[in-house]
Amino acid sequence: MRILVAMSGGVDSSVVAALLKEQGHEVIGVTMKLWEGPEGEMPETGCCTASDSEDARKVASKLDIPYYVLDYTESFSKNVVDNFIDMYAQGLTPNPCVECNRSVKFDHFLNQAKKLNCEKVATGHYAKIIKNENFYELHKADYLDKDQSYVLHMLKSDDLENILFPLGEITKPEVRQIAARLGLKTAFKKDSQDICFVGKKDYRSFVEKRIDLTSPGEIFDVDGNKVGNHNGIHEFTVGQRKGLPGGQATPRYVTKINVQNKNVIIGEQKDLLVESFIIEDVSIVKDIEYDNLTVQTRYNSEDLNCKINKISDNELLVELIEPASSIAPGQFGVLFSGTKVIGGGRISSKLMESAS
Amino acid sequence: MKNKDYLYLDHAASTPMRKAAITEYVTAESFGFANSSGGHKLSRDSKNLLEDSREKIASLLDVAPGEIIFTSGGTEADNWTIKSLFNSTKLDENLVTSNIEHEAVLASAEWVSSLGHKVNYAKSNNEGLVEEDEFLDHVNEKTIVASLMWGNNETGVIQPISQISKALKSANESTLFHSDVVQGIISENINFHNSGIESAAISAHKIGGPKGVGAMFINNKYKLPSFLHGGKQELERRAGTVDVPGIASFAAALEEQQNKFDDEVGMMKEEREIFEDKLKNSLEVVIVGDSIDRLPHISNIQFADINSEVLLIELDLNGLGVSRGSACASGAQKPSHVLEAMNVDEKFINNHLRFSFGWSNQKGDGSKAADIVIKAVQGMK
Repeated sequence: MRILVAMSGGVDSSVVAALLKEQGHEVIGVTMKLWEGPEGEMPETGCCTASDSEDARKVASKLDIPYYVLDYTESFSKNVVDNFIDMYAQGLTPNPCVECNRSVKFDHFLNQAKKLNCEKVATGHYAKIIKNENFYELHKADYLDKDQSYVLHMLKSDDLENILFPLGEITKPEVRQIAARLGLKTAFKKDSQDICFVGKKDYRSFVEKRIDLTSPGEIFDVDGNKVGNHNGIHEFTVGQRKGLPGGQATPRYVTKINVQNKNVIIGEQKDLLVESFIIEDVSIVKDIEYDNLTVQTRYNSEDLNCKINKISDNELLVELIEPASSIAPGQFGVLFSGTKVIGGGRISSKLMESAS
Repeated sequence: MKNKDYLYLDHAASTPMRKAAITEYVTAESFGFANSSGGHKLSRDSKNLLEDSREKIASLLDVAPGEIIFTSGGTEADNWTIKSLFNSTKLDENLVTSNIEHEAVLASAEWVSSLGHKVNYAKSNNEGLVEEDEFLDHVNEKTIVASLMWGNNETGVIQPISQISKALKSANESTLFHSDVVQGIISENINFHNSGIESAAISAHKIGGPKGVGAMFINNKYKLPSFLHGGKQELERRAGTVDVPGIASFAAALEEQQNKFDDEVGMMKEEREIFEDKLKNSLEVVIVGDSIDRLPHISNIQFADINSEVLLIELDLNGLGVSRGSACASGAQKPSHVLEAMNVDEKFINNHLRFSFGWSNQKGDGSKAADIVIKAVQGMK
């Protein structure tokens, strides 16, 4: 069949293209250009750099498949970058990779694939799609170290029908072996860890360059005593330890950011513990389930046992069985039943029931 | 798909070399490989070949040999004329050009502007035409260079060069009138002197010659400052060892192109007409500049409700090569500044593709291309 493969220039998507081609499919390689500088140039660091698209082109040429660069910059800038800045301005902790998958990558990509009469699209994500009767389920990858089902939770059964994740059942070392066997240039390329449009720079300086966020406020402890001043809430995220007024016997962390009055609350590690939270903008893969649930609150973080209560079609209350820390509004709460993804949504700042 | 089965309709971007040009290149390289500036026999052979080629090209273009200076292509010639007369001492001098020029002109104009000079851009109308009055409105006594292309590279719309050059001289006798004729020369008989062009950019690879070779026509009455500094080549105006085999090959290509001009351009015109008629009959399309004079080899088409980024890929997968605006370094294809200058509605700006015919096309290509396009568009609905 004809398959459109998203090729970032990394080893994972290179191997996906190679495997599908080996299986006899008609493979078309595409690099999504997401971000550019003022002169239209590709970024120099992070992922999606000029040299990455050059790597993708070389792999495509080696595999003898057609290869194109598609321009997604407008949508990316609006849906991901502007949103990223917006959320920091509100004292939230955005997850641009989820935002990108939600509103840019899969949406456009599936649409373009359909127009090009491709039966499937494939990416180098580590996750599994399992057909269950007439529906498609999203599962964690067998290789849990790299599992990316968290950032893919917004894909629905109907979307999954048109998607392939060929790396769901193999390990990263195996992927590198395959790449080496095929003589692909990307076999030993380092994984990128940066936010693609921020690169190696600190994300705060990126945000500060784009908008003026100086909005001074005050810092309080959990008992309401003022302990200092700050230059803007974008300098803080929940769980942060660096850059806080010191002098206490035990380490202090940001426990809450109040957007309305610009107050930042700091406390001890125990004050970070949360019993329940709300996720909003919820998307469900197929049907909502209530039994044996766990939740991940950051990419590839620990699975926390939980129960859920439906507040509305868009909102769920997540109650943790054991209180947990590092739950940051703006990140996503993704629900699993075993390895199966049920769905997820953005962690709201509306209600955070603290355990203490 | 093998390259020989691939239907190529992107001649405005580049054309394959003519057999005569390849043969001439090979001969010239063995005969005249030496540095044409040297003092020995082999250099003299090379120098003779260079000057013979200059005379041949000058004669084919009906200009004096001293009015042809060889360059690396059209881009260099555009840069040269536009940049070299401006300097940072006389900042009151200005440049007039249009907003639909090739990037080589627009980027050179930006450079002039960065020195502190005023650059006045005449605007295209909605059909892609820069009207005489609009252009002349921007000219004043301090305009030292005015530049307007012969035919636009994306729409093919032919600009009123003769009228404008004449009116320009009445407005300001001393303004140098430059024209980028890189596309124009593919399918129009252009006489520089008769049409009032005083400087022109020409590219060899658009007419079946080699890439990396071109020429600047510059009227004898001007002597532009050097653009590349070094040795005394090219009448002491352009330093750098001269690519004599490339130039000999360029001359051979131009000779064949001029000899076969009526047949080849007649074919392009016919094939384009068949192509456009077929599309009009089967699809919802708008042809840019349909009712005005266009270069016979270019067809810029707006497809209703079809994203041209995807259509370009679908055509490529079906063996038809065309283009969409200008390509950036990453290979992503951007919507065109020309369409923006024409005020094409934002919702249609991503619906355009450029099809361009050339000497290597043959009878039947227009119809074959139309069939591929119609099938692709219908499959995308």
